[in-house]
Amino acid sequence: MSAKISSYETAEIRGPKLAFNLTPENCGRMLKRSKRLLVVVGGDALKMKIDDGVDVPEVAVRLARSLGGTIVASPGVFKAFQGVSAVKLINMGLEDAVNRLKDESWKGFDGMGGYDMAVFIGGLYYFQSMMLSTLKHFAPNQKTISLDRFYHPNATFSLENLTPDKWKAGLDAMLQLLEEKK
Amino acid sequence: MATKISIKELDSQFAKIRGLDLVIGKIVEAGEEWSEPVGPTPYPDITALRSWDQRLLARYPPFYSPLSDFCEFCTYGKCDLTAGKQGACGIDMATHQGKWSLLTCVMGAAAHATHAHHIVEYLIKKYGEDHPIDVGSEIGVEAPLIRLIAGIKPKKLGDLKEVLTYLDNQVTQLTSATATGQEQAPVDYESKALHAGMLDNLALEVADIAQISALGLPKGNSDTPLVEIGMGAIDKSKPVVLCIGHNVAPGSEVINYLEDKGVYGSVEVAGICCTAHDLTRYSKNAKIVGPISRQLMFVRSGIADILIIDQECVRADVVDEARSVGTRIIATSDQVCAGLPDLTEKTPDEIVKALLTDTPAVLVRNPVKVGEVAARAAIEAAPQRKSEKGLKDEQVLANTSRCSLCRECTENCPINLDIGYAVNAAKKSNLEPLQKIFLECIGCGRCDEACPQSIPVLSTINAAASAKIREEKFTIRVGRGPIRDTEIRNVGRPIVMGEIPGVIAFAGCSNYPGGNEDLAKMADEFAKRRYIIVASGCAASDLARYRDENGQTLYEKYPGDFDAGCIVNTGSCVSNAHPIGAVIKIASIFAKRNLRGNFEEISDYILNRIGAVAIVWGSQHQKAMAIATGANRLGIPVILGPQGVKHRRAYLGRSEDDEKWSVLNARDGKKVYGGPAPEHLLYVAETIEETMVMAARLVMRPNDTAKGRMIKLSNYINLHKQLYGTMPDDVQRFVRAETDIPITMKEDVIPVLEERGWKPIEIPDPTLLDRMVLRRE
Repeated sequence: MSAKISSYETAEIRGPKLAFNLTPENCGRMLKRSKRLLVVVGGDALKMKIDDGVDVPEVAVRLARSLGGTIVASPGVFKAFQGVSAVKLINMGLEDAVNRLKDESWKGFDGMGGYDMAVFIGGLYYFQSMMLSTLKHFAPNQKTISLDRFYHPNATFSLENLTPDKWKAGLDAMLQLLEEKK
Repeated sequence: MATKISIKELDSQFAKIRGLDLVIGKIVEAGEEWSEPVGPTPYPDITALRSWDQRLLARYPPFYSPLSDFCEFCTYGKCDLTAGKQGACGIDMATHQGKWSLLTCVMGAAAHATHAHHIVEYLIKKYGEDHPIDVGSEIGVEAPLIRLIAGIKPKKLGDLKEVLTYLDNQVTQLTSATATGQEQAPVDYESKALHAGMLDNLALEVADIAQISALGLPKGNSDTPLVEIGMGAIDKSKPVVLCIGHNVAPGSEVINYLEDKGVYGSVEVAGICCTAHDLTRYSKNAKIVGPISRQLMFVRSGIADILIIDQECVRADVVDEARSVGTRIIATSDQVCAGLPDLTEKTPDEIVKALLTDTPAVLVRNPVKVGEVAARAAIEAAPQRKSEKGLKDEQVLANTSRCSLCRECTENCPINLDIGYAVNAAKKSNLEPLQKIFLECIGCGRCDEACPQSIPVLSTINAAASAKIREEKFTIRVGRGPIRDTEIRNVGRPIVMGEIPGVIAFAGCSNYPGGNEDLAKMADEFAKRRYIIVASGCAASDLARYRDENGQTLYEKYPGDFDAGCIVNTGSCVSNAHPIGAVIKIASIFAKRNLRGNFEEISDYILNRIGAVAIVWGSQHQKAMAIATGANRLGIPVILGPQGVKHRRAYLGRSEDDEKWSVLNARDGKKVYGGPAPEHLLYVAETIEETMVMAARLVMRPNDTAKGRMIKLSNYINLHKQLYGTMPDDVQRFVRAETDIPITMKEDVIPVLEERGWKPIEIPDPTLLDRMVLRRE
């Protein structure tokens, strides 16, 4: 028996290249190998705390801190990161950020080079899907992981569609794994 | 089009000629002379402005977000174009996206050009070719887009025919470029898309100045009346004629017929979408149901006795939906025949009889006949409607008992509303979540199609919110049409100098990520900050459907002048020509630049000097993209709301690419840094916060005076701090000299500049065009 993985939006049917479906734990293992991590936090992040009980900014900060990554937060949610320290934080719209990320010659927000992994979390589903599509087509070497509650076929790796409880528990387990590393 | 040969004096062995004007193709009449010299590009062909486009695209390269991984345009396909693969014809994804971009803009331009054709032909038939173009006594520059692009000064309706011929020719050529085996570089597809956008803008102006001139629509006056808008504004005790679409001809003929018979007061004439705007411009007693998001909702209510559909933005299922509630339908346009029997040649008596008996949906392609038929049929059908129909909320809500919370509706909602949860709550008698959904719903009905239990979800949302629907009654100021030359004289200088922080135009459809309130709140905030706010089409309707904390609609709260701190409703979709035209008129009236066939120079002027930006928060239709792309070619940046990402293309700059922000200083010809102003030409924002701050940023121009930049920076920094909690990361890129820094913000800004190694720069007389350099050192 094999499980059918479908995108969250019914009509978001893509082509032959679809995201590998990972469990949160496997995402953690994958992320552990990252040397230059960028965490991209989308504009729906704050709503997810209300709807699903997941504090996405907190997840992003723990993730970035555990791996020395940089956070680029969509302007609509940037205020939630006020007072956060010990992590590099950029306020930039997703389209602006992806426009840089797709450029192989881009030297990153710190001028030290590109990012080997871009984690997407907290985006409006349809908007994030299109940003991942840009990277899938025009930056095929850029690895992306979607940590949102819904499967994103345009990412390189994605969680499957999860219930809020499973999503929250999975992210916790993943973060614990990453934080153990320290 | 005509070619003119002028001979001042000729003395040869064959003839002696003095003062001869010979025109091939058209007779020049007395008084048609126009002293303004013809610029380099009257009636530009599809490559005439290619070099200007390439300048824009070098600075703002296209950014593509494919909606599908395949190309499906020919029988070689489907071809997988993922991640650098080419299709069987050799096309790659970037080129394919360029083709989509052009197709989208051509569809929009063709729709508006056809609309312009229809209205001009109707008006010429009714009023004659010699009917004068008159858009207002205080409006000397009557047709800025036509003057700029076509290079003519239209004086009568008949003059518009040559512009329409030009549009037809160009749209055909652009469509041809999309065929397999034709154009093959993204940059040229985009140049052609920009051309299509320009044509679209031109078509808007043709349509609107024709109807303003002949139908007596408002001619630029600021104090047009306030009229009712909202589903609750319709008096269902009267016979109701509902018009959907964009062409006002049939609806205006209904009003004419009712007035002739002296019964207009006893029949309700209302509209949805842009034809509604134009009906209220034609008669202040007409009403607006709402924007496109209200189309399916209102049709399903069964309140309309007669539904007239014309063209554009008509739902593909509207005939079936109207029939299912007993509403009779009259299709009126060649563009939307809807599979209906053509009764155009029948007499009004025969058509009325057919509508009321065995043929409840017909095609009648004669607006005058439609006017009589719709009015008579509505009056006859209304008693039947009143006795048989009406919302039965309890019955509709009872369907929720079948909900299994599978959430298929949620997963099919284009804006991801959690409808499933709300329907399931209604099953347990809690209607509050559905009522909240109603406020954000875009009214598409995809949830209905998705439900495996066949619950009519949209009707359920309506039933839960029926009390809100009854209360949905607001006021909107009737679309005023063009901006007066006198207003341009008042605001031209402060806009160009930057002292009025900007012109913000709200346009587009109602495909919002979370209801129309965000749109209205943005307009309210910018009006308070003394920007000039202009709105058209569904966006203008949606600004009205909101009350502030004092219970006022924005049109009650703000004056309708084209001035700082005012909100102008120009009118319908075709009235989008006027905000764009106003920006062109600033170059013409304030800066005395020649318009005639002088597109590049005027666009260069706008891009570098006029702080205008458009917000298309709910873009849905190809027409919205075409309008936006036309504005882009003129140097006006546009911000789309998040659904706009599905148009697949943006034009993005990169603020850190200093080389790309250089301009020529017209004073000495030197290449100097002008700053990322504006940073983007077409940007898709994810949230309202991002949109507001981006708008405050995109109104900055290299030409701003110190005082102007100070005012613009003050708004930008203030909004940034208010919405993001921080000083902008890029503030150093917008401060050219210390005098640019807002006085009250100096303490905050100067340390940031020092930390970021800021150096002052010269404020240039900016241009991208070599030929505009006045003197070289």
